[in-house]
Amino acid sequence: MLGDSTSSYIVGAFEHPTRRADGVSTARLHAEVAQGALADCGLSLDDVDGYFCGSDAPGHGPLLIAEYIGLRNLKYIDSTETGGSSYLLHVEHAVQAIAQGRCNVALITMADRPIAGNAGHSIAGVDFSASPDLPFMPPVPFAPVYGYAMVAKRHMHEFGTTSEQLAWVKVAASHHAQHNENARLRQVVDVEDVLNSPMVADPLHRLDCCVVTDGGGAIVIARKEIAESLNRPRVRVAGTGSALHHNNGGWFDPLTSAGVASGRTAFEEAGVTPRDIRYASIYDSFTITVLIQLEDLGFCDKGTGGRFVADGNLISGVGRMPINTDGGGLCNNHPGNKGGMTKLLEAVRQCRGEAHPEVQVKNHDWVLAHGTGGIMPGAHAAGTVILAAG
Amino acid sequence: METSFSHLDGLEQFWDGATEGKLTLRKCDDCDKLYFYPRQLCPMCGSASTQWVVTSGRGSVYAHSIVRRSRRLAATAIIELEEGPRIPTALVNCDVHQVQIGDTVEVSFQQKKDALPSLAFTTTAAQEARAYSETAQTSSTSIPGIEPGDHTADYTQAAVIGAGRMGAGISTALLLADIPVILIDQDPDALNGAREGIISLLEVSVSKGKLTEQQASQCLANLNTDTQMQAISGADLVIEAVYEQMGLKKTIFAEMDKFAPKGATLATNTSTLDIDEIAAVTDRPGSVIGLHFFSPAHVMKLLEVVRGRETKGETIARAMKLGTRIRKVPVLVGVCYGFVGNRLLLAREKQAGKLLLEGALPDQVDRVLREFGLPMGTFELQDMAGGIELDYRSRQESGEKDFVIDELFAKGRLGQKTGKGYYSYEANSRKPRLDNEAISVFEAASAHYGIQRREISDQEIQDRLILLMVNEAAKLIEEGIVVRPSDIDVVWQFGYGWPNWKGGPVYWADRFGLSEIHARLSRLELACGDEFTPAALLSRLAVEGGTLGSATPGNST
Repeated sequence: MLGDSTSSYIVGAFEHPTRRADGVSTARLHAEVAQGALADCGLSLDDVDGYFCGSDAPGHGPLLIAEYIGLRNLKYIDSTETGGSSYLLHVEHAVQAIAQGRCNVALITMADRPIAGNAGHSIAGVDFSASPDLPFMPPVPFAPVYGYAMVAKRHMHEFGTTSEQLAWVKVAASHHAQHNENARLRQVVDVEDVLNSPMVADPLHRLDCCVVTDGGGAIVIARKEIAESLNRPRVRVAGTGSALHHNNGGWFDPLTSAGVASGRTAFEEAGVTPRDIRYASIYDSFTITVLIQLEDLGFCDKGTGGRFVADGNLISGVGRMPINTDGGGLCNNHPGNKGGMTKLLEAVRQCRGEAHPEVQVKNHDWVLAHGTGGIMPGAHAAGTVILAAG
Repeated sequence: METSFSHLDGLEQFWDGATEGKLTLRKCDDCDKLYFYPRQLCPMCGSASTQWVVTSGRGSVYAHSIVRRSRRLAATAIIELEEGPRIPTALVNCDVHQVQIGDTVEVSFQQKKDALPSLAFTTTAAQEARAYSETAQTSSTSIPGIEPGDHTADYTQAAVIGAGRMGAGISTALLLADIPVILIDQDPDALNGAREGIISLLEVSVSKGKLTEQQASQCLANLNTDTQMQAISGADLVIEAVYEQMGLKKTIFAEMDKFAPKGATLATNTSTLDIDEIAAVTDRPGSVIGLHFFSPAHVMKLLEVVRGRETKGETIARAMKLGTRIRKVPVLVGVCYGFVGNRLLLAREKQAGKLLLEGALPDQVDRVLREFGLPMGTFELQDMAGGIELDYRSRQESGEKDFVIDELFAKGRLGQKTGKGYYSYEANSRKPRLDNEAISVFEAASAHYGIQRREISDQEIQDRLILLMVNEAAKLIEEGIVVRPSDIDVVWQFGYGWPNWKGGPVYWADRFGLSEIHARLSRLELACGDEFTPAALLSRLAVEGGTLGSATPGNST
């Protein structure tokens, strides 16, 4: 039963309500999000024949966690790991696997507990000790924020982008998060609050950075016939794209991400343009991350991101381009330091018309979820998913 | 498990170059591009035909961000090399708070013991300041009119009066240079304590591999102690290191003069007192000199050699030679309150105290100083060095009051040694934390003096502390306290940790611009009072042009 690669549907979605998982194992979190997403669409563990996970799945890829979750009928497995964007790539791969007839119901799980596990901002299961550039790393402590801080500094230098403009990204997230009872940070903040928060890595303040949380989520993707048999609003995966960006031995543009390529592929496949997208989940590890990706996906021209995000333009019901209406990684949830899954989950809610009424966009025919895994301006991988209602 | 693969992939040429400070990149024969770091194929065109080339190691800052988690001041940076490629790396040993996009940089591999060097860069400005610093240090030992030479007699037997922390430290410094020491104190317990202290300092040196067991026992064999001043009769160098009190010092010097052999140098370790007044109680003022060591004396490199009015050239020559022999950086200075180093420091501390009364808190003041580039802020430094107690005790004779310090002292807040001072410290931690008790002392002090607390900008704090030091430095030059202006910078580098990548107060001021400094001082004079009245030398240079660094000491007009 072969189909084209745009006839798969996201039928189940679930976000774990926890933000701090004391006393609960990572494996248990994976099982809970799997059950939650299956319950959402009315399918069972036995219906799942394709399984996708990243390095946060404890054990050894899917080898042990699949059994722990209770997946007995798997015909297709994939443990692609590209950091925070992994789950967007899983959607791409699941759609392809379904189109090729390799599986009918694909489950993607994501969960981790860096807070309860005291793991800081590391990515579970990722080991850099043999990476080829390790001996050439600078003799200073390095964290993702330093990379993005340099991107922000240069963006300001080249385009006159300001800290106030970046702060608007956080302000928008906080306006959305006030309606999300599970959000890690629900307090509405203003530009001044962001600028007055302590500097973490100039020019990025603490409130320019995402939250660190425990938790996770899961997605179920099914072939069209199965989706039509389920009593849920339809969310078709209309286009996907992924791309890798490397240092190129020093010949790279630190202000451009892999999102240019992943976005182009996804838009072409979906047959739409950025102007057709009325809601977007945009990876928000830092405020600058959002700005760069909006430019790279074509929502605005390179260099104009600062003006584009300012003055509430990202706030649902206020601006022209609402994003991350769950509060995003900046306010709601950034489980395991990987925000790709939660980007998908809010995109699904919006596409179904099931986001919080205060933030639900009116025209939700076309929505987009996009993520960057790894650390800009260095090596990273982007994944773009475009969803269509109905 | 293999943790480093430096020996893999034929990277020897890269690491050999790195050890010599050279940046070696890979060049593609087909597309002519240079790239970093080595991989199997040219990342641009895919060619397998590539070779090593040594680059200039120069470039400019493309982007950067200050690393706040590092103990060392450093910045992550993307450097755009002259040859084109951009390298994610770090900026080290430079003024990272002042770095701007476009600043020129050069490669500066961080050499590590038992490990591969790490690629890093430093700014050209920092490199120039380091070159200046090296010259300044070399020239500081040459004194016009005094020929250092082989004919200057080495000291063969030293005596140190006072077995406190300073006396023990000075003794250790002398012993480590193979100079026999008699340590003298009336109190036998103090002598025992000092001996034990010296033994443990030597043991630490042995355990760090800086000293062999044999050398350590030779040092100890060279140490004698005595409770009687008569024991100095065989010494050609006597260093007094007792409590900082003029009356006490005069009594001791009279005795030193009585028992020390003819021709012996009589030195005082005073940090502020008038050496001429001390010398006047002896019959040999020509042989009296100040040897101002910095605590801990066996570690700190700076030695201020203080020349009195009557001090003979030969005494100066011997003292400077001693300084070099005991591996210090000796700098000749004249008599004034605080000499060179402490005069600037005390002016700064006094001003910092005023800032507290006007509304600043210690952590803001200290952060501003650290961001300026100094290794420590003024309040954390006082907490470490016991400044509250020293200041309190120094005022008991005169009865002068200081609300903040008197209150802190009364509350047992003496600094790190009591776990709290300007800040409080958790057990076994040196991390300063602001606490409510201290804050309420500062607020009460403002109320006591009738001062309305206000928010004070970082820039005002920096100007009031740093420009004040510059002004004081200008006065030192016009008063002829220093032999040459750069000596002030040498003092501040080796005694107070002013970074060599920032030169020193004189070097910094000349680069910042004297007319701007003069203008700011004049504004501060109006706002805050005459402690900011620009020095005559500064006023002249601001109008005529010229630099503090090239001014002639002792000549303000």
